[in-house]
Amino acid sequence: MTEPLLSIRDLRTVFHTDEGLVRAVDGVSFDVGRGETVCLVGESGSGKTVTGESITRLIRTPPGEVADGQIVFDGRDLATLADDDLRDPELERDIAVLRGDRIAHVFQNPQGALNPVYTVGWQIVEAILLHEDLPKAEARARGVDLLDRVGIPEATRRFDDYPHEFSGGMKQRVALAMALATNPDLLIADEPTTALDVTIQNQILGLLGELQDEFDMSILLITHDLGVVAEVADRVVVMYAGKVMERGDVFDVFERPSHPYTRALLDCLPGRGDAGARSIGGKLPPPTDPPDGCRFHPRCEHAVDACRRGEQPPDYAVDGDDDHVVSCVHYEPGGDPSVVRGEEAVPADGGRPVGGDAEDEGDDG
Amino acid sequence: MTRPLLDVDGLVKQYPVTEGVLRNEVGRVRAVDGVSFTVDRGETLGLVGESGCGKSTTATTALRLEEPTDGRVVFDGEDVTAYDDKALKRFRRRAQMVFQDPTSSFDPRMSIGESVAEPLRVHGMRDRERRRRIVGDLLERVGLDAADVDRYPHEFSGGQKQRVGLARALVINPDLIVADEPVSALDVSVQADILDLIERLQAEFGLAIVVISHDMGVVREVCDRVAVMYLGEIVETAPTERLFEDPQHPYTRALLGSTPVADPRRRGRGTKLTGDVPSPSDPPPGCRFHTRCPEVIPDEAYDLDAETWRAVLNLRLRAASQGVDVEAVRTYAAADDGAGAADPDAVRAAIREEFDLPPTLPDARAEEALSGALDRIVAGDVDGAADRLAEAFPTVCRRERPGLVPEGTDLSADEWAAIKSLRAWIATLVDADESAVTDRLERRCADDRDRDGIDRLAVRAAFRLPEPLSDSDAERSVGAAIDALLAGRADAAADELYEAFGPLRESACHLNRD
Amino acid sequence: MAGGTDTTDTFESVDWDETGSRLSTLSRRDRGALAAGLALVAAFLYDYLLLPASRPTVTVPVEWNVTQLDWLFVTTLLALLLYVAVPLYGNRRLTAYYWREFKKNRLAVLSLAYLLVVFAIGVVGPLLLEKPTLALDQAHQPPAYLSVDSAVPANCLGEVVDGRCRGTMAHPLGTTGDGKDILVLVIYGMQVSMKVGLISTLLVVTIGTTVGTVAAYGSGLVDELLMRYVDIQLVFPAFFLYLLLTYLFGGSLFMFIVIFGLTGWGSIARLVRSEALQRAEEEYITAARSAGAGTLYVIRRHLVPNVSNSVITAATLLIPGFILFEASLSFLSLGDPTVPSWGQVIATGRSDLSTAWWISTFPGVFLFTTILAFNFMGDALRDALDPRQET
Repeated sequence: MTEPLLSIRDLRTVFHTDEGLVRAVDGVSFDVGRGETVCLVGESGSGKTVTGESITRLIRTPPGEVADGQIVFDGRDLATLADDDLRDPELERDIAVLRGDRIAHVFQNPQGALNPVYTVGWQIVEAILLHEDLPKAEARARGVDLLDRVGIPEATRRFDDYPHEFSGGMKQRVALAMALATNPDLLIADEPTTALDVTIQNQILGLLGELQDEFDMSILLITHDLGVVAEVADRVVVMYAGKVMERGDVFDVFERPSHPYTRALLDCLPGRGDAGARSIGGKLPPPTDPPDGCRFHPRCEHAVDACRRGEQPPDYAVDGDDDHVVSCVHYEPGGDPSVVRGEEAVPADGGRPVGGDAEDEGDDG
Repeated sequence: MTRPLLDVDGLVKQYPVTEGVLRNEVGRVRAVDGVSFTVDRGETLGLVGESGCGKSTTATTALRLEEPTDGRVVFDGEDVTAYDDKALKRFRRRAQMVFQDPTSSFDPRMSIGESVAEPLRVHGMRDRERRRRIVGDLLERVGLDAADVDRYPHEFSGGQKQRVGLARALVINPDLIVADEPVSALDVSVQADILDLIERLQAEFGLAIVVISHDMGVVREVCDRVAVMYLGEIVETAPTERLFEDPQHPYTRALLGSTPVADPRRRGRGTKLTGDVPSPSDPPPGCRFHTRCPEVIPDEAYDLDAETWRAVLNLRLRAASQGVDVEAVRTYAAADDGAGAADPDAVRAAIREEFDLPPTLPDARAEEALSGALDRIVAGDVDGAADRLAEAFPTVCRRERPGLVPEGTDLSADEWAAIKSLRAWIATLVDADESAVTDRLERRCADDRDRDGIDRLAVRAAFRLPEPLSDSDAERSVGAAIDALLAGRADAAADELYEAFGPLRESACHLNRD
Repeated sequence: MAGGTDTTDTFESVDWDETGSRLSTLSRRDRGALAAGLALVAAFLYDYLLLPASRPTVTVPVEWNVTQLDWLFVTTLLALLLYVAVPLYGNRRLTAYYWREFKKNRLAVLSLAYLLVVFAIGVVGPLLLEKPTLALDQAHQPPAYLSVDSAVPANCLGEVVDGRCRGTMAHPLGTTGDGKDILVLVIYGMQVSMKVGLISTLLVVTIGTTVGTVAAYGSGLVDELLMRYVDIQLVFPAFFLYLLLTYLFGGSLFMFIVIFGLTGWGSIARLVRSEALQRAEEEYITAARSAGAGTLYVIRRHLVPNVSNSVITAATLLIPGFILFEASLSFLSLGDPTVPSWGQVIATGRSDLSTAWWISTFPGVFLFTTILAFNFMGDALRDALDPRQET
């Protein structure tokens, strides 16, 4: 198994506000392998956007601060770098880590990424020239090529158009082109399709897949839409209130959702034609004063005493699979996952019945 | 009584596009271009579509929050489009709206109690204490605390604000509520609660609800019937489950196909629509969806599959509208090869590639026409190429506009539109007495002909109903209705028409003809 | 039905045909304002038409002959009370929030305290102190604890030590060339500054806000007409009109306030219009219309309060502008010589700068600090009221 391209361990990002210390990201760990798509899923307030921004220090300091943790990109810990190093090309030519060069960003609102007073072409060329020393003509040719590859019809003509002359979907494609200008190894896309119509969303997601193959990129896709996750993800990281609740292969997480939050989230989706959507009762915990124990316990219908004390439970393997982990007390060795999953219990220590007692059979938790 | 609470017929809303100091009109944005639907008491109708389809504008125009350019809105037997200011204010008591963005739909300087009480104030309730009590009671009923009355909008979450929005819409005791994207701005984990609340309130107060959404899932969850909109028109109407199980219009199918499903095993199956949504100021002729439709009807003369036909059509349309930038393609093709002027073959190949056309079309005649057109493009005569393509590759989808046709009848789109028009006109007279009805009828029909005495022929002419209609059942009902109308009994006429042509399933696509 | 209120007070139980006939949507405050306004007008007419010119209008608790300017000032103060103080008190949570933000700027808090003191002294002082009169035997006295060459004052009220005349506490800030006590003049000047600043600003803000919101919400023809008028007015040489009238009738503070108040609202109108245009697109305006509200109601109840933040910030910078303008005109001898404004006093001390420097300096210092205080306060207010930072 090759080294993952991006490895995040125990990341903590905080904001110093009048109301107190907001722990937006509170101990998040996951990997992004080369050429794979990892989706960071969560609702508003889960900390997913801040996680993405922490990787390349897009957080405003102050009031934000990457307080702790490791962000290892291609063998190099970004968390310890001074901000200037992130842009300094002289530093270590073969592991030159540059924001915008090897790690690129695409945001939810393409309006924000595109400067309305410059043509689209000018902006792409600028993105290229910031990181590479090319003659202008060559940079321009690259730019046209990029526009074409992201699916802008008549790229040569539209190269000199202004952002307002493009529709929403087209603007997002342009933003993608800009992000790809330097052939990044990692693309961090924060809700790239949320503001787009569903038919355009489909096109953009398909495009992302094609570009990933073509450019041999990894993608960290941040979203709240489980449908999007199912469509593009290789691996999924489910976040809630600044922590990771569940992590694993996309098929594992969708077919065997293990954390109560993941299950509740899947239950929320409207219009699946079955018993109907349900909501998760309660509210997000206040960001300055999170609950003890598991962050989700005030809203969890399977909460027990162990959930309410101490720290967030550590990651336990689900069904003996180290790749699919969940932060829930019911999955610790000796615990009973059927409480959450309500199916025939497969004990967390893999296979053998625990004790001699009869197991709960197919009980709905 | 089967008469619906709301009958919108042929609603049109256009915005002029002006240029220059003197505001010369250079075009019109056809935001809503002939939309008709009905809503019964206690029913939930969904209006679904993507951005720019005009669904929100339809709602605001139907409620006369914006003035319609044309069309008729009939609410409980009265013509809303003809209301004066006083009647309009009274109408506001009976039809309310819940807005999309919970943050901006509340005045940040007013407490939510004041915001909810505003309709009461505006309609003349001066007793402050009474207003307060009513608002407190209502807040409890939507799931908040009566004590929240003095708190400000920014102190609430999105879901809570939507509840307040519902309370504000209800406080005046309306019969109809239009909910514009009621849950789009909310997290998934609270959407179900709000949808639940809407259903509960509907059951408890017997409301008619119109839900506007771009999210098919939401619509499936709460609506009884759904109308799908595209570029200012309704393309399909059906009961919810039937729409989802058996969509009749290619756009509905595309929409359903594009919605990502939370099942990784079903990935990659979505329909990929090509191209952008056309601009509402310049909609395509014929069927508005034909520029993107994956099922566009090929000319019978050729034997091409849907995908190839789509690609050919894309080339044809692009050549005609914006032209193909040959120079650009030439440079592009040249860049591929390196130095030297681009070889015409390379340019042709590049164009084919750009439009996803195979190197040779399977049908020989089609290939011939296409090559000819490509030659002209390479030679610089894009207009000529466009003409050639238009001539060689016609499609009924562009030639003829498919109007909405009801399922299970033989009516044509025009006949159906005429019947709906007649029905809406009659609906405004159901409370009038016989002489008033006859009087109005005379005035209406006398515009067209100068006859003494109005007879069936005159009425049919005035309402553009051919005789006989293509469908015999329809002919019978329309005949009966006209007879009742001539006798001065508008209520019987309306009942007849609404009964016979109840909420039928409609769709607007040439595929569903013959 | 017994006194139990709960059973009848649900929204379904409202009988709309019975209730829905009255049109009044005015709040209690508006009705109170209307009543107070009418009372003022009545009092003014009484004073103007019925009382003979020599009799002071008010004799208890102090004698006070109410001038035209005083009537305007009372109206202004009433308007401030009803439309600034009352809403602040009513929305206490919001006010507390603004205050917390404002407090962060300590200089601004200091400025506010200073201005409140000036205001208080300015309002009360002239009622208690006699207006300074000509007293040439007291001319050119130096301030307390300071001394000046004894040749300067014609008559030294204090001790003469080493050929220098010492100041006394009888005139803590010294006296002018006319023998008027400078401290008293400064106090009277406070009232004048308050009058000039507040009344003019109120006129400008009221007219400007009305025009701005109507233009923004009305749109189309109404907008065009109003804004083109504003364009014309901005070009109109109000200053020359003032000069002309001063030449014809002599300088008058009343005239200054009226002319510049009634012609200076153009830029406020534009500012308000641009803010209101943005607000008019907000959904809560549509919600109000959907509830059945008419144009006037929407403007009054929704547009104006939501543009008030920018207006207040602009107003706190207008007040010192007017004060300074009046001082400048007085300095150029174009002001009202009967009114003891700071500018007037500075002007009279102009020729004595090298000898009796205190005549121009002290009023100058007060003028400077007052203007500075308004500016600091204005900055802090803008930050505190910034809608983008509103939670």
